Amino acid sequence: MPTKMIEIQHLKKEFNGNEVLKDISEEVDKGQVICVIGPSGAGKSTFLRCLNVLEKPTAGKVLFEGQDLTNISDPELDKLREKMGMVFQGFNLFPNMTVVNNIKIAPIKVKGLSEEEATKTAMELLKKVGLENKANVYPDSLSGGQKQRVAIVRSLAMDPEVMLFDEPTSALDPEMVDEVLNVMQELANSGMTMVVVTHEMGFAKEVADQIWFMADGYIQESGKPEDFFSHPTSDRAKEFLKKVLK
Amino acid sequence: MKHFKQLLMLCILCVSVFLAPLNAFAAATSSSSSASSSSSSTTSSTNAATDDSLQRIKQKGTLVVGTSADYPPYEFTTKKNGKTEYVGFEMDVAKQFAKDLGVKLVIKNMDFDSLLVALESHKVDTVIAGMNITPERKKSVDFSKPYYTGHKYFLINKADKAKYKSVNSFKGKTVGAQNGAMEYNLVKQNIPNVQEKGLAKITSLVIALQSHKVDGVLMDEATAKAYANNNSNLYTFNSHIKIDSGGIAMAFPKGDKSLEAAANQTVDKINKEDLINKKWIPQASKYMKSYKKHNTVASYWTFFAKGVEYTLIITVIAVFFGFLLGTLFALMRLSQNKILHGIAVCYIEFIRGTPMLVQIMFVYFGIGAVIQSLPALVAGIIAVSVNSGAYVAEVIRSGIQSLPIGQTEAARSLGMTKKQTFHFIIMPQAMRNIWPALGNEFITLLKDSSLVSTIGVGELMYQTQLVQADTYKGVLPLFITMMIYFVLTFTLTRILNYFEGRMKHAH
Repeated sequence: MPTKMIEIQHLKKEFNGNEVLKDISEEVDKGQVICVIGPSGAGKSTFLRCLNVLEKPTAGKVLFEGQDLTNISDPELDKLREKMGMVFQGFNLFPNMTVVNNIKIAPIKVKGLSEEEATKTAMELLKKVGLENKANVYPDSLSGGQKQRVAIVRSLAMDPEVMLFDEPTSALDPEMVDEVLNVMQELANSGMTMVVVTHEMGFAKEVADQIWFMADGYIQESGKPEDFFSHPTSDRAKEFLKKVLK
Repeated sequence: MKHFKQLLMLCILCVSVFLAPLNAFAAATSSSSSASSSSSSTTSSTNAATDDSLQRIKQKGTLVVGTSADYPPYEFTTKKNGKTEYVGFEMDVAKQFAKDLGVKLVIKNMDFDSLLVALESHKVDTVIAGMNITPERKKSVDFSKPYYTGHKYFLINKADKAKYKSVNSFKGKTVGAQNGAMEYNLVKQNIPNVQEKGLAKITSLVIALQSHKVDGVLMDEATAKAYANNNSNLYTFNSHIKIDSGGIAMAFPKGDKSLEAAANQTVDKINKEDLINKKWIPQASKYMKSYKKHNTVASYWTFFAKGVEYTLIITVIAVFFGFLLGTLFALMRLSQNKILHGIAVCYIEFIRGTPMLVQIMFVYFGIGAVIQSLPALVAGIIAVSVNSGAYVAEVIRSGIQSLPIGQTEAARSLGMTKKQTFHFIIMPQAMRNIWPALGNEFITLLKDSSLVSTIGVGELMYQTQLVQADTYKGVLPLFITMMIYFVLTFTLTRILNYFEGRMKHAH
């Protein structure tokens, strides 16, 4: 019996009267890899950002390990966010810190780790993604792919229980996409629970346990990748796949 | 909870800021209307019916005398063992009065036109500053019996000796007089078509004369003679302007009858023995002569050193509190809370929309009317800090807003609290971006601190004016001061650049 990690109940989000998310209810089990795909403007990023309440939902609930994130105090929310790593399209590394300091700051300040412990963890993780020789440079001197791998490591250093990816390869030059996807695949293989908003259909097909297809503020379809890609049921999905797969 | 504390602090600040003018206005209106009991509502101690002014002085053990020590031989400054000392025959009057009362004498030196305000707001107990009794002044203050009457003389450049010989030769010319002094009105009334230039200090007027900004300056006989004797380029002659003044006397707040009566006893004694003409004026001239010998500007380096010390004290403290206030108000302005946001906007707009000089005088005279013991230095530091805070707030706000929102989101998604995000992620980056603008603000602050000289704080500009008065030289002390300010700001710029470089390195 799989344990539920995230439950989304009747989630709605409006921006100034413009309904971006209309009514979404889904579940993420522990160890599952979910890929959220769909046309631009479908609300995929907004949906992902509602999961760790970077956007506060207008209505509905987001339960993480049974606790409703939309209705708790700020300190409690901060506590739960430690367990939810997030990787952004634009990396958002801290430009005024070296790579290793980017990775260490949250474990030290938030978790209270010692300097040595944090450094040790950071170096081990950097080694895993092949960037241990970049520990003491500033983000400016890294390529996009390297930046994104550092950003992933920065989240992993907090030892999260779920990782949220917001189009992690969309801002990258094509030759750098694979180095990031490989890291993500290894992460998935190691059993990490992941929710990935992506346009990489190959990755979704190969790695995802479930595909959630989003359009017009709803999740129109969800299912195993082999079913979804070969037998989409909704017209929106058929139309979308025709365009992206050719 | 954090917001609540901030709000509470601000409420206190606002209440005190808004109460101060009310009290000041109440004091001003009640004293200028003159007829009824004076300034009774706010300062209960000065009611004519139950006048305890004399008793009050004796209780506190000090007599605070306001003067404008740029008026030899009435009152001027000399240095003794590197320390400023106030001398002149009126200072002898003050000493005598304090001695008769059996209390310690404290001299407060300020601009002549600030003296009556200082008296009304009880910053000083009496004014002894060559002040003539006039009907206008009598409306707002009381006078003792007069102890001296002097003729009015014109001070001119010696080169113009042939050109100006009487009042009539100034027809259509520019004549200077001290703001708030009786000469200012005399010029208007006695010279047809005159263009009048009023300045706060006699020393400034003499500089204006020497640089031909004015053709002559009308001032008191004794003072005019002192200048002419000490500066071979100047010449003075009697204006023969008739004065309807009742002579020079001590001024008191309306209603301080018992103190005034005590003063009259002192004045009677002085007049009876003719102390001023026989003893004190010769003594004052001696001071002026003895200083003429070695009153080179360079020998006043202790004045400049003292001035630099105070300027730096004011700057350092005001930079610190200005930065603190600026950060606080920047955060409030960026806050979601509408009340905090509103307060911050009001503060920033109001402070930026009013002149700093007015703010300084308002804090000293306005808030000083509520808190009597507020020293000028503290008032000056408060005003400068509050002023700087508004500008720093805008600089910091722009620095924070210039950062991409992604930085905050990344930090928050790592579990950092709002405070940690601000402290470790936002502020260090914002500081690096705004450092040049912030440095600019600090340099402006250092220079603007010269404005607090108007309320008598002994910083660099104030000391410069003392040196001008002492040496009878106008331009050289100013030039030295300008150089000192430049060295200070240039050093500050170097220091700021050093830190800017270091922050760039860490990138």
